[in-house]
Amino acid sequence: MADAFAADAEGEARFRQRRRYLAWRRRLLPIVAVVALLYAWSESIELFDIKPFIAPSPQAVAAVLYDRFGILMANLLPTAIESILGFALGNLAAVVVATVFVWRKTVEEAMFPVAVMINSIPVVAKAPILVLLLGNGMEPKIAVAAIICFFPTLVNMTRGLRDVRPEQLELMRILSARQSEVFLRIRVPNALPYLFSALKIAASTAVIGAIVGEWIGSTQGIGALILQATFNFDSPLLYATIVVGSVFSALFFGVISLVERRMLRWHTAHKE
Amino acid sequence: MAETAVSCEGVSVRFTTERGTVTALDRIDLTIPRGSFLTLLGPSGCGKSTLLRVMADLIAPSGGRVAVFGGTPSSARLKREIGFVFQDPALLPWRTVLDNVTLPLEVGGGKALPGARTPQQLLELVGLNGWETAYPHELSGGMRQRVAIARALVSGPRLLLMDEPFGALDEITRDRLNEELLQVWSSTGTTIVFVTHSIYEAAFLGQQVLLLAARPGRVRELVPVTLPMPRHLGQRETPEFTALAGHLRRVLETC
Repeated sequence: MADAFAADAEGEARFRQRRRYLAWRRRLLPIVAVVALLYAWSESIELFDIKPFIAPSPQAVAAVLYDRFGILMANLLPTAIESILGFALGNLAAVVVATVFVWRKTVEEAMFPVAVMINSIPVVAKAPILVLLLGNGMEPKIAVAAIICFFPTLVNMTRGLRDVRPEQLELMRILSARQSEVFLRIRVPNALPYLFSALKIAASTAVIGAIVGEWIGSTQGIGALILQATFNFDSPLLYATIVVGSVFSALFFGVISLVERRMLRWHTAHKE
Repeated sequence: MAETAVSCEGVSVRFTTERGTVTALDRIDLTIPRGSFLTLLGPSGCGKSTLLRVMADLIAPSGGRVAVFGGTPSSARLKREIGFVFQDPALLPWRTVLDNVTLPLEVGGGKALPGARTPQQLLELVGLNGWETAYPHELSGGMRQRVAIARALVSGPRLLLMDEPFGALDEITRDRLNEELLQVWSSTGTTIVFVTHSIYEAAFLGQQVLLLAARPGRVRELVPVTLPMPRHLGQRETPEFTALAGHLRRVLETC
């Protein structure tokens, strides 16, 4: 097969240059777009003479981000802990339940409609119930984040564990493989791409869950700071808080994507 | 019985569906000698894959008796005497070429029969040395099927069942793999049962061609192939081969 490739230094250099160009373009274009949007925002604040308590200028938000960095971080910490713990618990529970569903179809038939019903309760309605049940600490926020992660992962993981190619199962039968071997060597790896699709959704929704949880009776956290800033008409602080929350959410998503890329190197979707 | 690999006595398979009961195989009688190469040829729906799956213990017959090396198909499967190659290579995409080949050594007790070749030797046999660490998606269709053949041989099976393994490949690749398969057969001494719907493939590969008729699936004719071994693709242009292919075609038209 190696002889199929001839040495062509000039062609290879052109190929590499083109790929470098495409890589830089992919990185730079979003930055250009963001800068343009910030500029348009800043100009329209001046142009339409919008009052700071209605909407701040990007400069004012940047100033708050810099001046009150300590307060912002102190409030990010509980939100981060809640969303990460909720993410871990919710997804772990979903994976366990999906395993049980695939192991015993009867359990799925009985419990799946219940899961759908719980999932159909809006998050803002679940939060007060959980505050009543779990008190005023971090627990109800973790629970909201966990519940919000649970459903997409349950659905995806169940599908991933079940949607195995029939030939692969026949192969395992010819090899006289035990059920546990079929599960660990076929079903689990087959489910990983499905699981990571769900985890990437969950990384963002877990943060939303924690913030919504904090709206119901909390004195600290990104959610609490958002409410406080809104009631004080402190729009620069409100925007800065949202920026901090979004950046954390994006980082969370990025970490999951990185783990996915490392673990699913075999997956065809990751072919160059 | 010592020289018999597979024997079928009155094997029937019936499937019940919403539309009623279908007889896929109707009282098949067949004896496959040890070390031979038998091809199963027939129109679609004649039950040739079903017959192969009965031998592999993937389907239980509704009637009749199947013996593989004198025992039941399931005991042969448990002893790792059966290798199976599907039309789809059925490789595990998360495993490298080498890890796919070694899968049979990791599951179900992981036994290999005495005399089995090492995964490395088998990769060499199918012409894939140097590709050990590649993933299936990096391989062409023909290479994937070669990996599947190496995997089926890794436990040193005495019976290799192949279900249209080259059906999805282009003609040039298929021809090359046909020749290679004959080399694998002569160097391993494995009994091979090969399902195909290609007249040329059936005639070129088999020592005997079993023609099956459809609805219900039954034995139509067992045609001996007298072409000398070892075979090469040039033999397909001999009058002998043309006459054989013509005969198979005429019988198939009445199936």
